[in-house]
Amino acid sequence: MSPFDLMSRREALCRFGAGFGGLALNSLFSTPVDAAGIPSPNRAHFEPRAKAVIQLYMHGGPSHVDLLDPKPMLTKFDGTTPPDEVADDENRTKHLMGSPFSFKQYGESGLEFSEIQPFVSQHADDIAVIRSMFTEHRNHEQAIWMAQTGMTIAGRPTLGAWTAYGLGAETSNLPAFVALPDPSGQSVDGVRNWSSGWLPPLYQGTVFREQGSPVLHLQPKEPRPRSIEESRARLLQQLNERHLAARPGELELEARIASFELAGRMQLAATDALDLSQETAETQKLYGLDDDTTKSYGTRCLMARRLVERGVRFVSLFMAGQPWDTHTNNNEGTKTCCQRTDKPVGALLTDLKRRGLLDSTLIIWGGEFGRTPAAEQRDGKAADGRDHHPYGFSMWLAGGGIKGGQHYGATDDFGYRAVEKRTQTADLHATILHQLGLDHESLTWHHNGRDERLTDVYEASVLEELIA
Amino acid sequence: MTTALVRSGFKATLRVALLISLLAHGALAEEEDRELTFQNDILPIIRTRCIRCHAGVEPKAGLNLTNSSSLLSGGESGPTLRIGAAEFSLLYEKVSSGKMPPVGQKLTAEEKGLLRSWINAGAKGVDAAASIDESDDLTGVEHWSFHPPVRPDVPVVRQSDHIQNPIDAFVLEQLEANGLTMAAEAERLTLLRRASFDLTGLPPSPESVEQFLGDDHPLAYERMIDRLLASPRYGERWARHWLDVAGYADSAGILSEDRPLPLAWRYRDYVIRAFNSDKPYDRFLQEQIAGDELTDYWTAYETMDRLPDDVIEGIIATGFLRTAADASRPDFNTIKNAAAQYYYPTMFDTLQIVCSSTMGLTVQCARCHSHKFDPISQVDYFRMQAVFSTAFRPDNWVPQMERRLHIASKKEKDAADQRNAEVDANVEKLKAEQSVVQADFTDRLFKDRLAALPEAIQSDVTTALDVEAEARTEVQQYLAEKFAKVLRPQGKELDAALGEYADYKSGTDDINFRIAAEERRRWLFDEVRAVYDLPGEATTPVLLRGDPLTPGPQVEPGSLTTLDTPTPFEWTAPVSEAKTSGQRLAFVRWLTQPQHPLTARVMVNRIWMHHFGTGIVATPHDFGIAGATPSHPALLDWLATEFVRSGWSIKHMHRLILASNTWRQRSRADSLHREMCESIDPDNSLLWRQSMRRVEAEPLRDALLSVSGTLSDRLYGTPQTVARQKDGEVIVPEGQDQNRRSIYVQILRLNPETMLQVFDQPPISVNCTERSTSTVSTQALTLLNSDVMTAAAISFADHVCTQQPNDPVGRAVLIAFSRPADSDERGLLSQFVEEQTTLYLNQHDEKTRISTDVVSEARRQAIVDLCHMLLSANEFVYVD
Repeated sequence: MSPFDLMSRREALCRFGAGFGGLALNSLFSTPVDAAGIPSPNRAHFEPRAKAVIQLYMHGGPSHVDLLDPKPMLTKFDGTTPPDEVADDENRTKHLMGSPFSFKQYGESGLEFSEIQPFVSQHADDIAVIRSMFTEHRNHEQAIWMAQTGMTIAGRPTLGAWTAYGLGAETSNLPAFVALPDPSGQSVDGVRNWSSGWLPPLYQGTVFREQGSPVLHLQPKEPRPRSIEESRARLLQQLNERHLAARPGELELEARIASFELAGRMQLAATDALDLSQETAETQKLYGLDDDTTKSYGTRCLMARRLVERGVRFVSLFMAGQPWDTHTNNNEGTKTCCQRTDKPVGALLTDLKRRGLLDSTLIIWGGEFGRTPAAEQRDGKAADGRDHHPYGFSMWLAGGGIKGGQHYGATDDFGYRAVEKRTQTADLHATILHQLGLDHESLTWHHNGRDERLTDVYEASVLEELIA
Repeated sequence: MTTALVRSGFKATLRVALLISLLAHGALAEEEDRELTFQNDILPIIRTRCIRCHAGVEPKAGLNLTNSSSLLSGGESGPTLRIGAAEFSLLYEKVSSGKMPPVGQKLTAEEKGLLRSWINAGAKGVDAAASIDESDDLTGVEHWSFHPPVRPDVPVVRQSDHIQNPIDAFVLEQLEANGLTMAAEAERLTLLRRASFDLTGLPPSPESVEQFLGDDHPLAYERMIDRLLASPRYGERWARHWLDVAGYADSAGILSEDRPLPLAWRYRDYVIRAFNSDKPYDRFLQEQIAGDELTDYWTAYETMDRLPDDVIEGIIATGFLRTAADASRPDFNTIKNAAAQYYYPTMFDTLQIVCSSTMGLTVQCARCHSHKFDPISQVDYFRMQAVFSTAFRPDNWVPQMERRLHIASKKEKDAADQRNAEVDANVEKLKAEQSVVQADFTDRLFKDRLAALPEAIQSDVTTALDVEAEARTEVQQYLAEKFAKVLRPQGKELDAALGEYADYKSGTDDINFRIAAEERRRWLFDEVRAVYDLPGEATTPVLLRGDPLTPGPQVEPGSLTTLDTPTPFEWTAPVSEAKTSGQRLAFVRWLTQPQHPLTARVMVNRIWMHHFGTGIVATPHDFGIAGATPSHPALLDWLATEFVRSGWSIKHMHRLILASNTWRQRSRADSLHREMCESIDPDNSLLWRQSMRRVEAEPLRDALLSVSGTLSDRLYGTPQTVARQKDGEVIVPEGQDQNRRSIYVQILRLNPETMLQVFDQPPISVNCTERSTSTVSTQALTLLNSDVMTAAAISFADHVCTQQPNDPVGRAVLIAFSRPADSDERGLLSQFVEEQTTLYLNQHDEKTRISTDVVSEARRQAIVDLCHMLLSANEFVYVD
């Protein structure tokens, strides 16, 4: 037991996960929310289909034509220059490059996956692949901002932050939004991947770690004996109560006292949530924890399931750097990424499903763009890499009320441009919020003189065909 | 590096593949190079496919495609194309998806390809959009803040004994109108602590507590305020506020490399100096926006022996216009549409920073359309952008690292060039000498080592080494392999071998010494990250929907015509050979005219906000129609006019505010007063008491260092670099002066220092006009368990034990809370130390428990714990 649990007298305050700002206090102490204050809707606009989201963010931009969007024409015309209609507008790539991977139909639906995803493809009937995504920038950071925050400008809140703002957490002891970065290195764009932008810092993702203490500063470097911790906590409590007694009605002081209590409970809850030794050997193996290739991503997938199970609202998983950025040796690079992630992601789907959690957990898989159908030119010759490609790419969704076993929209014959049911990021965001019971037009935050929303000025539509 | 950024140049001339259909032939087609034009290549397609609907007097959807001037303006659905971006052009979208033409034959693959290539190559032949959003909607121009403040009469109030200065009269007037009164004046030490945090961002030292308590002079209070204002710590505190609104950071932003900016700190230091010297605010703005023009940098540069100090200060000040994220590199000129994707956004952010910081307006809405909330037209927005275009030049961008000025006059530079050329020549000569010496000794080494070999093989080895590698016989190969390394060592091995010859060493040492001496003669200049006009003519188009890919008509520089300024924006184009346009100076003169409706109001409101927690206008970034209504409109105008009247003295405003009874009220109002007032004004917007405030991230860290006796008082200079630890924590690593004030801690946009970030130091994407304050459990964890806190607690404990070994408890409370401990508290804390000592002793076995060392260490640890909890307590981070 944590020493701070001794004084958990404000249970009610902690509805808000890792923190509480004006709203939690306002709702608790029934003071009115002022217009310029911190109003959080903290409730769904309508009946949600998903309680939680696990975002499998694939930094670098996975190659859609090698994974989810089979293009026989690319193979047929491998090595030739494409017609002007689909020629690279930046002259970086020239000769079409067919995928070396064979595609097969899976499940009853017959949804197609390439051979390098043997595990995820087993869930074909739960997965909806959007093949007609497009984005607005061909550089990583701007495209990441689009994918994560809805526009190609820096500093906006991420999808996870909007969700935390909109719904809060289901648990009092863990944050609403957790980020699981790769311990081997920062992802491209670093902390901005879980930033709350101009939303209050309360809504930013809290980093949980797979090695060492689960949360930064959860424990001191040299742990103190329990009795020592307890008496320290007691002293702090006494100091704060004396201070508060002389300042009756100062809600902020109460909130800060409660934040120490919550910190104590989080020490327990986070440690427990991330204690993977509680999992059976079978489960650990399922996620590939017994294999060095899959262990790291598998660990984060398993952490994600345990966090969602405990009421965390939004979990984002990241990989170091941008492994899908296959400018050279695309085939090998893409395959390696699959070897690291496919089994863990398959396991996550299996595990959520057998625990009855898949229906209420929305899985989002994808990166900031796709890759060119043609090979990059190096020294005037066709090389073996694919370049960034914003005009057409794939992402997939599963669980959380998504109708699986389907692909949605299409790119042209070469996978160059999304042509059928073209899907802008705002449509995807609107759909994700919709599954969480949030209306993308109503979830707003007043900032710089206007009511900002995730989908900003875009005319976005919920992708009804994706919904079960 | 992001490889995709380095793109092969995009050719304006396109390869036009003449193929009927690749699918039919599956082969490469003939190619030719020529430029596609609207007239020759596109109009024919439009004539066959589109003319049936999109032509004539009443074209469908308001779109006439036959006219090269209406293509960009488009029709009801907006611009038809975006220059250079076919994939995001409506025209291409419609024809490539087959939606258009709705009836009749669709475009062939070849036609689609032509259209696409033409747009991507720059849509040659298309005229700038003619029609723009020229809204003449004047709704809202009567809004209060768009008209100059008029100095109001100081009201007469009943409770005149509560009046220290006019501020109180204005506040009392509204309190009385609501049947309310002010709270009593706070205790002296409360005022000292409050003033100290407000003005210097630090708690008062125990010495200043004693000094103030012991000062019974009638002006003791005023003298205390003067001491704080005279302290260099004042500039560090208030510069931080300004750096927030300026969007200051020490890294370039945008790209993941988040390149550190090695020169940004000069601007930070400028701001600190400006506050410390109470630089008049109008001058402060003039320097930041047009310091180069104001001080006539170019004349000084060209005519004077050296740059005078005010010119140097002027160019450093323009760092204000360089805070917007700008990651541009020389290789960006190979990126397609780089201006639209990188350069324009930097300009947009700059204009947003200028307008939100100085005028409290959110002008960025007007980039895309006129009159969103405020009656600001799109044309005005771009007129203001034109003011900065001569310097920024999106059409002729200078990469951020190269956009800098030397602190040097032309004479100095010429002299330096001359001298450095000499140095170059001398160094080259010396290096040549050195290689001669080296060659000689390399020969000698060869001979000496060869001589050491058995005589029989000497000539064979020599021959083997002289023969080219490919031509060697098997035996020669063997010999070469075996002896090359010994006889002809390379790199370090050669150096080591030659070093054995004493005369070689003395010879080359001498040359190296002379080279070093030459290098020291090299004349280098400090550099400044500045803004200055670039040569050549700048043009500024209005951008349709704010999109650089849909340029409209050109505009001339100007300002916000919405604002009712007694003096309009006045600028005349200089002679053509002028080095600078004078546009920024004209703009800032317009901005700092005494009766500008916003400039003084916005700044006094910010000063007020930092003394009360909330501004008179609660939205410091938005004085427009969507902003908050002022709680005390007359007071705001009085303060604004007083500010100008005082010569724009910020310190004068501090003195006024801190002298007022309004500021000196207690925050801990007694319950009767509180109940009465809260029923009428629950938010305290009428100021019936002072607000309790939490210290922000930087003063929190600074206070921790200060009370633990480790705060460095070194002013200015390069930032304390931060480092990311393996566990993800970003810290100021141990080293020289790691305990400098937080304003000197490097701000990397992508690696913010963890402790500061946890306590809400804003992430800088554009700028921060008002900070958020959050209360989250990660803050509690940081306070309880971080290394920084642990170290601070230990230093604090050692500090108090040394200073007052007999009463460490009393000393600790005095330092942490700036007040003596009361007797109850003393009891509580002493008892804690006793009990905690016992707990620590209990960790030892009975034998060691009685050793004096163990006992004193246990007591020390108990005091460390006590100190740690004092630093974590609410009283430490809240100011009454």
